[in-house]
Amino acid sequence: MSDTEPIGPATCVLVSGGSRGLGLTIVRSVLDKGAKVAAFARTVTPGMTELAETYPDRVFVGSVDATDAAAATRFIKDAAAHLGPIDALVNNAAIGQDSLHVHTSPERIDAIISTNLTAPLVLTRAVLRHIMSRGGRGRVVNVTSICAQRGYAGLVAYSATKGGLDAATRALAREMHGRVLVNSVAPGFFASEMSSVLGPNQLDTITRRTPSGRLVEPANVVPVVEMLLFADTNVNGQVIVLDGGGGI
Amino acid sequence: MSDLSRDEVRGMMADVLTKQGKTLPAGDTTPLDEIGFRSLDFSELALRVEDEVDAELNFDAPGLREIRTVGDVLDFIDQLLTA
Repeated sequence: MSDTEPIGPATCVLVSGGSRGLGLTIVRSVLDKGAKVAAFARTVTPGMTELAETYPDRVFVGSVDATDAAAATRFIKDAAAHLGPIDALVNNAAIGQDSLHVHTSPERIDAIISTNLTAPLVLTRAVLRHIMSRGGRGRVVNVTSICAQRGYAGLVAYSATKGGLDAATRALAREMHGRVLVNSVAPGFFASEMSSVLGPNQLDTITRRTPSGRLVEPANVVPVVEMLLFADTNVNGQVIVLDGGGGI
Repeated sequence: MSDLSRDEVRGMMADVLTKQGKTLPAGDTTPLDEIGFRSLDFSELALRVEDEVDAELNFDAPGLREIRTVGDVLDFIDQLLTA
C-alpha cells in the first residue's frame, strides 16, 4: 500500500485515561462507531467494567499508571492479543493543576510533566512501534488544551505540558510521512471544571465573552475526536481548538 | 515546622503593605480588598515566611480563594506552618 493513499478509519483504538469523563465518553463513541477499544486508567471504574462485560470481544480494559512505561507496553501487548492489532491512540490521561507556579512544589511539577507530557510521548512511541512493526498505518489524537495557546494563572506546568504535546503533534505528523495521522484536540475549559473554581458571576462573564455564548462540554469534543479517528479528511499535524471562539 | 508567632506573621504582612504605601489595620476582620492586599501580596508574604522558617509552604489555589480578611490570611499561614 502506498503511503499516499488515504489512511482508513481506525479499527482498534487505545484510549488512555478512559475511566470517566471525556475519556469514557470517547471510549463509548469508538464503540458506537463499530471499532474495538482498549482503555486503561489508574483505576478501572464500574463504567469501564460494564463496557468490557457487555462487549467482551470488542473492549479490553486494564489498570495502568500512565507513567509506568513497562506497564503501558504490557497493556498494549495484552490488548492486541485480545482484540487484534491496535491502529489508533487517543492520549487523554492527564492530571490538572490549580496553584501558582511559585507555590507549586518541584515534585508536583515533575508529576505533572511525567503524566501529561512524558507518559503520552512514551505511550505514543510504543503504539507507533506496534503499528509499524506490522507494516500498518494509523492515527493518533492528543487531547490538549486551550491553555497551550493562552495564558491562565495557576496552570503554568499544565500549560507547558499541553504546549509540548501540541508541538510534538506537529513534529510527529511530519516524522510519520503520512503513514500515521497525528492531531491534537484542544478544548477550552469545561463548564463543570470552571464552576468548581469560579463563582456564578465570573462564569457568566466568561460565557458572555465566548462568541458562541456557551462553554465547551465533553459532548462537543467527541465528534471532533471521531472525525480524526474515522474520517478521511487529510487533517494532519493540526491543533483543533474547541472553545466556542473564546480564544479568538 | 516553626514557632513563628501569629504576631510575627502579622508584622511581615504589615511590611508587605508598608512597602506599597499601605497600612495594615489592627483588627483581624478587615476585608482584604479594603486594604488592597491582593493574591500576589499573599504569595509575597508566604515566601517571606518560607525564608524565615527555611521551608517551603506549597499550596493549591482553592484554599487561597476562600481568604477574605486579614484574619483569614493569618489563619491560612498558621495552618501551613502547622501542617
